[in-house]
Amino acid sequence: MRRFDLVEPTTLEEACSVIVDNGDAKVIAGGTALLTLIKHGIFVPKTLVNLKKIKAASEISFEPQAGLRIGALAAIYDIEASPLVRQHYPVLAEACHVVANIRIRNMATLGGNVAHGDYQSDPPTVLVALDAAVELLSRAGTRQIKLTDFLKGSYETALEPGELISALIVPPAGHLRGTYSKFTTGSSEERPCVGIAALATMDKDICMELRLVIGAVSPKPMRFKSGESMARGERLTAELIERIALAAGQSVDPIDDLRGTADYKRHLVHVLVRRALSAAAQH
Amino acid sequence: MSLIGTDVTMVGGIAKVTGAINYAPDLVLPRMLHAKALRSPYPHAKLLRVDASKAEKYPGVVAVVTRDDLTGLNPYFGPVVDDQPVVATDRVRHVGEVVALLAAESREIAEEALDLIQVEYEELPAVFDLLEAAKPDAPVLHAQRNETNAGVHREEFNFELGGNVCSVFRVEDGNIEKGFQEADEIFDNTYTLPPVQHGHIEPHAATAYWEPSGKLVVHSASQNPSGVQEQLAQIFKLPENQVRVIVPPLGGGYGGKTHARLEPALALLARKARRPVQWVLTRDEVFLTGRRYGAVVKIKTGVKRDGTIIAREVQVFYEIGAYALNGPVNAKTGCYVSSGPYNIPNRSLSTYSVYTNLPPTGPFRGVGVSHVCWAYESEMDDIARRLGLDPLALRLRHLVKEGDVFVTGEKLVSVGITDCLQRAAAAIGWKGKEEQSAPPAGKDVVRGKGLAVTIKSTTTPTTSSAQVRLNADGSAILLTSSVDMGQGALTSLAQIVGDELGLPFEKVSVSFPDTDITPYDKSSSSSRTTFHMGQAAQKAAGEIRNQLLEVGAKKLEARIEDLELRDGAVSVRGVPDRRLSITDIFKARFGSSVGSMFGGYCFKTEGGLNARTGKGKAAAFWFFSACAAEVEVDRETGKTRVLRIVTAVDAGKAIHPKQCGLQNEGSMLSGMGSALFEEMVYDNGQPINSSFLEYMLPSMEDHPAEFHSILVETPHPKGPHGAKGVGEAALPPVAPAIGNAIANALGGIRCRDLPIKPDKIVAMLDALKESR
Amino acid sequence: MLTISTTINGSPQDLTVRPNQTLLECLRDDLSLKGSVEGCGVGVCGSCTVLVDGRPVSSCLMLATNAAGKAVTTIEGLSQSGELDPVQKAFLKHQAFQCGYCTPGMIMAVKGLLANHPHPTEAQTRDYLSGNLCRCGTYAEVMAAVKELAEE
Repeated sequence: MRRFDLVEPTTLEEACSVIVDNGDAKVIAGGTALLTLIKHGIFVPKTLVNLKKIKAASEISFEPQAGLRIGALAAIYDIEASPLVRQHYPVLAEACHVVANIRIRNMATLGGNVAHGDYQSDPPTVLVALDAAVELLSRAGTRQIKLTDFLKGSYETALEPGELISALIVPPAGHLRGTYSKFTTGSSEERPCVGIAALATMDKDICMELRLVIGAVSPKPMRFKSGESMARGERLTAELIERIALAAGQSVDPIDDLRGTADYKRHLVHVLVRRALSAAAQH
Repeated sequence: MSLIGTDVTMVGGIAKVTGAINYAPDLVLPRMLHAKALRSPYPHAKLLRVDASKAEKYPGVVAVVTRDDLTGLNPYFGPVVDDQPVVATDRVRHVGEVVALLAAESREIAEEALDLIQVEYEELPAVFDLLEAAKPDAPVLHAQRNETNAGVHREEFNFELGGNVCSVFRVEDGNIEKGFQEADEIFDNTYTLPPVQHGHIEPHAATAYWEPSGKLVVHSASQNPSGVQEQLAQIFKLPENQVRVIVPPLGGGYGGKTHARLEPALALLARKARRPVQWVLTRDEVFLTGRRYGAVVKIKTGVKRDGTIIAREVQVFYEIGAYALNGPVNAKTGCYVSSGPYNIPNRSLSTYSVYTNLPPTGPFRGVGVSHVCWAYESEMDDIARRLGLDPLALRLRHLVKEGDVFVTGEKLVSVGITDCLQRAAAAIGWKGKEEQSAPPAGKDVVRGKGLAVTIKSTTTPTTSSAQVRLNADGSAILLTSSVDMGQGALTSLAQIVGDELGLPFEKVSVSFPDTDITPYDKSSSSSRTTFHMGQAAQKAAGEIRNQLLEVGAKKLEARIEDLELRDGAVSVRGVPDRRLSITDIFKARFGSSVGSMFGGYCFKTEGGLNARTGKGKAAAFWFFSACAAEVEVDRETGKTRVLRIVTAVDAGKAIHPKQCGLQNEGSMLSGMGSALFEEMVYDNGQPINSSFLEYMLPSMEDHPAEFHSILVETPHPKGPHGAKGVGEAALPPVAPAIGNAIANALGGIRCRDLPIKPDKIVAMLDALKESR
Repeated sequence: MLTISTTINGSPQDLTVRPNQTLLECLRDDLSLKGSVEGCGVGVCGSCTVLVDGRPVSSCLMLATNAAGKAVTTIEGLSQSGELDPVQKAFLKHQAFQCGYCTPGMIMAVKGLLANHPHPTEAQTRDYLSGNLCRCGTYAEVMAAVKELAEE
C-alpha cells in the first residue's frame, strides 16, 4: 500500500479542524472500503485523518420522540446487535446483518458506509425507507440533511469541505413494519444485485402508509413514491400489489453488469417488490 | 492393522491447525528484498522503449531487470513451446505482462519506484474472441515459434496450422459420414465455457538467491519442482545440479501452480541484486497470471430411433491466452475423451488450442475434460429427452466397460464407471424417465435432478522417482519431490512406505521437495501422485524390505518366504517370538546400531500417442466418476439453489478414504461455482473482475445441504495396492449434472453457456413465452 | 511512525508502526507471527482473520495503529501452553482442512462464532462462517467440527 500520513484526533471537533487546516486530508473510519481503493491505486491520499480513536462517536441511543441516533463510528455489527435497533427498527438490523461478512461488519462504520456513497450497499436502502437524516459536523456547528438528499449519486454525496458525518438520525418508525430483501445472483457473499426495502403501516388490511425503496439498481437508493401513493389508504390486494410491482420494475433504469443484464434487473425489481409487498401485507 | 485404507492423521495436520506451516510467502531470509512487477496496461503493443534508469536510482531500490538484462540467456521458455519471454522483449501480448521487475528494501518502496520506469508502447491490433483469433486474418500473436521441448513429448503435438492456432489434435474411429447417414436423428449444438480462476487462496509466491559459487536457489510455491528446475537450468544455461528448487507446502494449487511463472524473472532479478529477493503476487496479479481455458465446443451426434448412438463429431476450440504453456497438452487431453466415456462406432474428434491477447492460462483440475464433459453430458440428456428415454439407461447402455477398446486404440483397464453412475444415481433417488417429466404448472419454485459421468486420462508417459532411507532406530524417511498442496499426497505415500516396511505410521516421515535432495518427479498434477510416486515409493521401500528380510533370514535361520515385517521388526510368521528389531538387523548387518539403509526407484509409465493418427496409449490409468445433483430453480428470479451433489469416484483403492473424499468435495464445490456463477470477464483484454470482491468463490452458505462422495474401488492391476488417482475426477461432471438438473426442473429448457446465471434462465423462459 | 500500546496474544507490547501499515503486515513482518496470511487483501477471503477484543476482523484491512489499547489474538495465541485449543482439536479430528492456508483464519472465525453463539445451529454456523473461503471445499468438515464443539 502506498505511503500516507495519519493524523489521529481524539474528538470529532478536532477532526474537523484538521480537515479544514489540511485541505487534502481525507477521513478514514473503518477503512474497509477506503483501504481497498488505496491498495488498488484508485485513490492515493497524502494524509488521512483516522477517526477510529474517537470513542464518543460510536454510541447508539434511542428516545421515543427523537428516534434513534447512531454515532457515525458505530460498527455495522454493533447496529445489527443493538437491542434498541432490534426492538424499534428490526428491518435496519436485518439490512446491517446482510452486509459483507462478520469481520467487515465488525470494522466498517455506518458513517463510513454512508459517506462512501456506494449504491451497491444494503443499509442505505433501509435508512432511506426509514427517512433517516445525516448529521454533519463542521466548525460552524452541526446541520442535518435527509439521507436521500445527502446521497447524490454513485460515490457522490452532499458532504461539504470541512464537514464530517457525526451521526445518523432515524425518526421514530411508528407502526411501520416490513422487510429488507437482498438478492444476489452469484455467491451468497456478493453485494446486492437488487435490494428492496418495503415498510408498511397496516390498519387491519388497509395500508395506511407504504415506504418502498429500491436499492442497487440506480446511482442511489430510489424511493418509489408513486407506488407508495398507489397503496395509501388501500387494501393491499394481489392485483394492487402486482400493479405497483410492475410500475416499480418499469421505473428503474439499471445498467448491465456482472450481476445481470438491465432487462433482468427490471424484471427482478418487479418480482421482488411483489414479494416484499405481499409479505408486508401479511404483517 | 494395515495402514492401507486407513484414515491416519494427515501429515502436517498439527502444523496446519496451529498456523505453524511456513508457506512460500512466509519465508524470511537475511537481507531479503521484495519484488514488484511493472505490467503492461495494453493487450498487444510493441515495446518502443523501456528505461529503468530513474527507478534504479530511487532510494531503497537495489535492482531492476528489463529486456536489457537478458543477454547471454535463453530468454524464452515454456513447458511445451518456448514462447514466453522471461520479461517482455519486443512486445507485450496481454494486459499484465511483466515488462520490468524491481527489487527494493520494502514492498512499499518497490511499489513507489515502479512509477519511475519509463515505457513507450505502440499499440497493435489485438484479438480476444476465441473463434475470431482462429481465423486466418486475425492479428497474429507469435510470428515466430520457438519449438524446443522441455519434458513433454513434442512428437505428440501438431503445430501445423499456424496463425494463432497453436496446436491441433485429432483422432477418429469408423466412418463419420456413413455414421451420420445411418442416423435417424441428428443433434448438433455448441457449448461455451468462460475462463475461471483456480482460486488457490495462497497467491503465487517465490524467493530466489544465488550462492557465491554461482548456484541458483529458489523457494517456490510450485506443483512442479523438477519442471521449474529444468526450465531455470535451460534459461540460465546451468547444469541441473546448479539449480536448487525447494517447495514448501502449498496453500492450494488445483493446477494453477504447475508451471514456472514467477521463477525465471525473479531469478534474473536476484542475480542482478546479489541478494535474496521475494516476490508474492497480489490477488489481482494472480488473475493476470493463470486461469482455466475458455472454450467453444461444437458437438454433433447421430442417433438411431432406438437410442443407439452411432456417430459423434466434436470440434473443440480452447482459448489459451497469450502463451502456449500447457495449452497443447490440454487440447490433446480433451480430444480423445471429447465424445465421452461411451462406445460409439463412428467418431471424429478434433481440438485446437488458440492464442488470444488475454492473460495466460494453465492446467486446471480436470484439464481439458471439464469443457468437453459439459458438452457431451448435456447432449446425452437432450438425446434422451427427445427420444423419450431414461437418461440413466441411455448412458448405461453406451458406457465403456472393462476391456473395451477406446478411440485411441487402447484397451481400457480398471473401468468402474458403470458402478459409479449407478451408485450416484441411487444416492439421489433417481426415478428414471419421469425425472424428465414436465414441471408442475403454477409453481414458481421447481426441482430437478441431473446426472453426468466423466472419463479422464493421466499424463502418459511420465516418470517419478523416490528414495527411502531407514534409520537404525526403525524410523524411515521418504525423499520425494511430490508436493503437499492439501491433497494429502505425503500422507498416502507415508502409508505406502510404512506398509511396505511394516512400520507404524508415526515412524515414517516425508521430505518436502528439494531438488538437491529429492529425486526427479514429473509434477504433482494430473492426479498422478498416488499411482506414480506411490509405486516409486513402494518399490524404493521394497529394496530396503529385501535387505531386511535377507539379513533376517540369515540371523533367524528361516526362509525369506516365512518372514514378515511388522511393528518395526522382522519375525517368523506365526512365531512372534522369533523376531529381530530393525536395530538388531542394523547390528547384524553393519555391526553397529547406527547407520542408514537406502532404497531407490525410478518409475516410468509407457505409452504416448501418435500425433498423426491420435492412436496409441493415452493413459497409464484412466479415471472415472459420476455426479448426481438436485437443484431448486426459482422460475421468477432465475436463481438456482443446489440442494445436493453426490459424486461417485473410482479410486481403484482408496489409500486414505477420508482424504479421497475431501479431494472430491473440493472438486465438487469448484465445479458448482463454475456451473452457477464463476466467470472471468474482460473488456478489450482488460480484466474487469480481478478481485475477490467481484469474482466470488462458493461460500459455506452456498454449500449444498447434502454433499458427499462415494468411493468405488475397481483395483488397477498396476497401481500401488490397486490405487489410481482421484484429485481431479469429481470436477468435470459437476457442471453438466447441475445443468441437467436445471434443464429437468425447467421441462427441458437448456442453457449451453456457463455459468448458468439467473439472468440467463429468465431470458430463456421469456423467450419461450414469446415463442408460444 | 506511530507508537502504540497493545496486547498481542496476551502479552502487552509497545509497537512502532507505520501510518499505512496494516495489522496483518505488523503481525507478519514485525512480530513474525506468520499464521495469519493474506489471500485477497480486500477483506473477502478471511485467511487473515484475527480477533480484536474478541471479535473477528480482517487484519489486511485494519490499520495497525487501530490496535492501540486493544487485545489482538492470532492463531499463535490459541495453543501457547503447548496444549491445542478445543477448536484446533476438533479441526484435526474432523480433518477440517486440506491445504491449510485458510485454516488459521477459519479457526479464529470459529472462535468468534462460539463466543457469540456457544451452541450455534447449522444455519448460524453457515451464516457466521460464510465469509471465510476455503477453495479446497472442506466446509462440510468445518461444519462437523463446529457441530461437535456446539454440543459440548
